[in-house]
Amino acid sequence: MTPVSTVFAYGLLTAAATGLGAIPFLFVRTVSHRGVAYANAIAAGLMLGACFGLIAEGTAHGSWQTIVGLNVGIVFILLVQRLLARYEVQIGSLRQASSRRVVLILVVMTVHSFSEGVAVGSAFGGGMALAGLVTVAIAVHNIPEGLAISAVLRPRGANILQCVGWSIFSSLPQPLMAVPAFLFVEAFEPGLAFGIGFAAGAMVLMVFLELLPEAYQKERTPRVARIVSATFVAMILFQRLL
Amino acid sequence: MNPTLTVLVYSSVAAAAAALGILPFAGRDRSVPLSWVGWANALAAGLMLGAMFGIAEVGLDRSLLAAVGGAILGMSFIYWTHRISRATDLDLNSLENTSPEYGYQVLLVQSLHAASEGVAMGVAMSITLELGVFTALALAVHNVPEAAVLCAVLLSRGIRLRDASGLAVVANVSQVLLAVSTFAVLGAMPALLPWAVGFVMGALVYLVMSELLPESYSQSGHTSIALLTSVAMGVVVLLNGVLL
Repeated sequence: MTPVSTVFAYGLLTAAATGLGAIPFLFVRTVSHRGVAYANAIAAGLMLGACFGLIAEGTAHGSWQTIVGLNVGIVFILLVQRLLARYEVQIGSLRQASSRRVVLILVVMTVHSFSEGVAVGSAFGGGMALAGLVTVAIAVHNIPEGLAISAVLRPRGANILQCVGWSIFSSLPQPLMAVPAFLFVEAFEPGLAFGIGFAAGAMVLMVFLELLPEAYQKERTPRVARIVSATFVAMILFQRLL
Repeated sequence: MNPTLTVLVYSSVAAAAAALGILPFAGRDRSVPLSWVGWANALAAGLMLGAMFGIAEVGLDRSLLAAVGGAILGMSFIYWTHRISRATDLDLNSLENTSPEYGYQVLLVQSLHAASEGVAMGVAMSITLELGVFTALALAVHNVPEAAVLCAVLLSRGIRLRDASGLAVVANVSQVLLAVSTFAVLGAMPALLPWAVGFVMGALVYLVMSELLPESYSQSGHTSIALLTSVAMGVVVLLNGVLL
């Protein structure tokens, strides 16, 4: 295999791992009102934890770029949300508010995959051992992201194949970005912190704007608080483990 | 300066900052729109998450199991104190409920909340003194909007401005006690540090999710709450990255 196709294959591997996150929803068929709240709380905890990890990594590359990226990410999601509110977005039989959440989480997760793809690609610049390690780390870390996506999609009527499909789709920027990042490692390096910050900002706003309010609306506060806190701490520790 | 003295001084500064919570009410009519209460809560939530970020980033080492145990303890601590003070489903920002019992409950919950913040300061000081000072100052700023919410509740019950300001500080005294004693205990038993870091993470995120955020969404618009929380958190994280 040529180096470029190896990088692409590794990126594809990390993308495929995202699909594994949908597996728990194989066993959950119908989702109640309360189930939506639980799923939202799980997604919120996972995403908030992921964004802590992203910020920590971004600041290692450059504090200011990360923060600029963070704010641009926040503004970006606000604009996307406004845009979706203006035009009728209709997915299947979903109500409008539901459709908006589905589109938003897919946009957020897909956008944030770009910087992960860059991470995979640039890791190859540091030799195969490092590349293997980073690939495994990102692949494993993608699984809870698939879980977060499926947690939003499944209660709103998506079937399991769609959950798997959209989860993998959201990670497709990884193989696509890994190749140019590998070829132009030096050119991508300054933008990495910005990209990571952008992803974190997009995620954190999604959590506070869409996921948490709906969860509080549909279930008693202590339950929501417990689930968000538990998944949040679990996600942070999980990232430490990698 | 002696490290313990540093802890005492900075945690006292944080507790004293609560007195500034009356500032929004300095105007003639002694009241603010309900949406301000929501914004104050969101601001406090963001600052708290930001302060926790520093502790989680530096404090977590390889003993992750201990951190898991600590996090479970931290969440359970808040859960049970809510149960015992019968505040689990209580609206902590009610401006209409003027029963005496409610007043005591709000003050009690506030003291317990401040106690967890005190533990956070003590833990941060034990990691490095710089992180501790940073955390204490971040939480001092956090105490201002938080005390503003408390003052809104107190003033709606007819309490005088001066007394409300004093009560807000008194409710935060537990912070000083817990900060100093946590620092002392961790100094004597450094092996407990991973547990303590986990405890702080679990307790603080649970506080944000159970006390600060839930009511803010019904008090002001979703967008303003989300923006304030994210930006406040981002600012603390930025300062953490630039200064430390």
